[in-house]
Amino acid sequence: MAVYKRRYNPYTGSLTPEWSRFFVLTRYAFADLFKARFFVVLLVLSLVPILFFASYIFIANNKTAQLLMQLRSAGLFSVETQYFIVIMMVQTQAAFLLNCWVGPVLIAGDLTNGAVPLFLSRPFTRADYVLGKLAVLGLLLSAVTWVPCLLLFSLQAGLATDGWIWSHLWMVVPIVLCSAIWILMLSLISLAVSAWVKLRIVATGVIFISFFIPAGLGEMFNAIMSTRWGILLNFSYMFRLILAKGFRERSGLLGSFGWDEIPVAAAWAVLILVCLLSLVILNARLRARETVRG
Amino acid sequence: MMNPTIELTGLEVQLGGRTILHGLTGVLNSRAIGLLGPNGAGKSTLINTLLGFHSPSKGSARVLGLDSLTNGKALRSLVGYMPENDAFISKMSGVRFVRYMAEISGLPPAQAMERAHEAFVYVGLGEARYRPVGTYSLGMKQLAKFAQAIAHGPKVLILDEPTNGMDPPARKRLIELIREIREASDICLLLSSHLLRDVEETCDEVLILRNGQIASICNLVEERRANRKFLELETIGAEATFTSTLEGLGCECAVFTNGRIKVVMPDSVEIREVFRVAADKGVQIRRMNHRRDSLEDIFLNAMEQTGAADGRI
Repeated sequence: MAVYKRRYNPYTGSLTPEWSRFFVLTRYAFADLFKARFFVVLLVLSLVPILFFASYIFIANNKTAQLLMQLRSAGLFSVETQYFIVIMMVQTQAAFLLNCWVGPVLIAGDLTNGAVPLFLSRPFTRADYVLGKLAVLGLLLSAVTWVPCLLLFSLQAGLATDGWIWSHLWMVVPIVLCSAIWILMLSLISLAVSAWVKLRIVATGVIFISFFIPAGLGEMFNAIMSTRWGILLNFSYMFRLILAKGFRERSGLLGSFGWDEIPVAAAWAVLILVCLLSLVILNARLRARETVRG
Repeated sequence: MMNPTIELTGLEVQLGGRTILHGLTGVLNSRAIGLLGPNGAGKSTLINTLLGFHSPSKGSARVLGLDSLTNGKALRSLVGYMPENDAFISKMSGVRFVRYMAEISGLPPAQAMERAHEAFVYVGLGEARYRPVGTYSLGMKQLAKFAQAIAHGPKVLILDEPTNGMDPPARKRLIELIREIREASDICLLLSSHLLRDVEETCDEVLILRNGQIASICNLVEERRANRKFLELETIGAEATFTSTLEGLGCECAVFTNGRIKVVMPDSVEIREVFRVAADKGVQIRRMNHRRDSLEDIFLNAMEQTGAADGRI
């Protein structure tokens, strides 16, 4: 189909492997995201705490720096389990905000003008489509959660002495696992909302509501039924529970609840259930054609 | 032996508990197939089933030998699809949109970019390719949809109402493009349209649907080859002797009200013979229309008929 000839010719060149095509969606979505200045600012802001955390680790492991800053108390700087929990808490909240901005537009743009049939009329399944969109949030939220957290862990491991790395290596598992379930849940919720609500501002609101309304309902349930199981509807708390159990840290994260009051399996089950529910919504909404009723 | 372009075997499709396609059975071998039928006949449902969007509740549909259900992915790798409704990403520039779709079809980025530019120039939107698709007029959006359907070089081109919303020159240009593509490559074409003229100008075979059933499968090439000529006459004073004399010459006559007569002419009979018979019988011919059996006749006939046993007319 040479331009100057204005003639149609069939394509006879090579094709990319089928398994890699979902990443085309990811690539285009990132290209669109980085065109928006607000997104870049938000991304940079969500990485700013990492600089503070890194500086803290550097000072904690550098006696000269401590002397220069005239800090005498040796216990003031301590990089232990609690420190990484703080990093995780801060960065997962940053991930939540980033997700609220990015997630709502990922599918809505395709649905608004009926582009979904164009994707699905190609050798491209709905699973590929969801995977491509999920990869956008997965990569983005990873970049502000477990990846910098592991980098900080490596920094601490490199600067610390006395075999710190070997006594703390187990922390790698909760850092990755807790981030993974949080990222998966956030991503699937926002994709499901994006497939349902077309306006960004409304979709962002719905994502916030999907966290706060169930939590409020859970509190009401607790008060009326004199039970504590209503807390299962508080997804943020469920994440904190998984985090506390993962890091074997009793203080701070569980609030008024006891260590064994809510089993961690229940927390995992709730978050996985939310993910499945989001997938059901996506399955219902992502159709090449609306089903005719009647 | 080559696979038929489309093969339907007892195809039944139900949507929302309602049967939309009722056991369609038929084989279409031509490279360019038209899909005709009134609104709600099941044309778009058939296309969606061929693309694997709907699963048949009974029977099967095959395109070039590939089952739409079991070989859906392989089938879709051969297809370029232009849907009837709006289908675009409004904020993307036209060329980026087509490139995006070509990459999803498996073209490497550089080739996808090249083909997207070529497709845009080819459909006549070269000047508008950097504008967001959302700002295009209805006709331009149709062309952009057409560009994304051909950019990856499909083997089967499925066009659902391609000329919807286009002005006559744009429609003519698109029909020319479709014919060009059909002739320049071994591409198979399935075109669904309400406009009989679009189908007549581009297709070799027609599948006519009515109420989810096959009303007719008609090979237009054979029809054209048969070259049946008609005379539509408006007469005054025509009596039975006039038509019987014409029938004696080998013509077939159908008499309607108000002196209207339809005469099927064999090749051996010239029009002047009709004038001669009219003069002999004192019949005034007030109007004469000489034409071939058109797709419109075939379509109307299929709509009126209850349907032949094998669906062929």
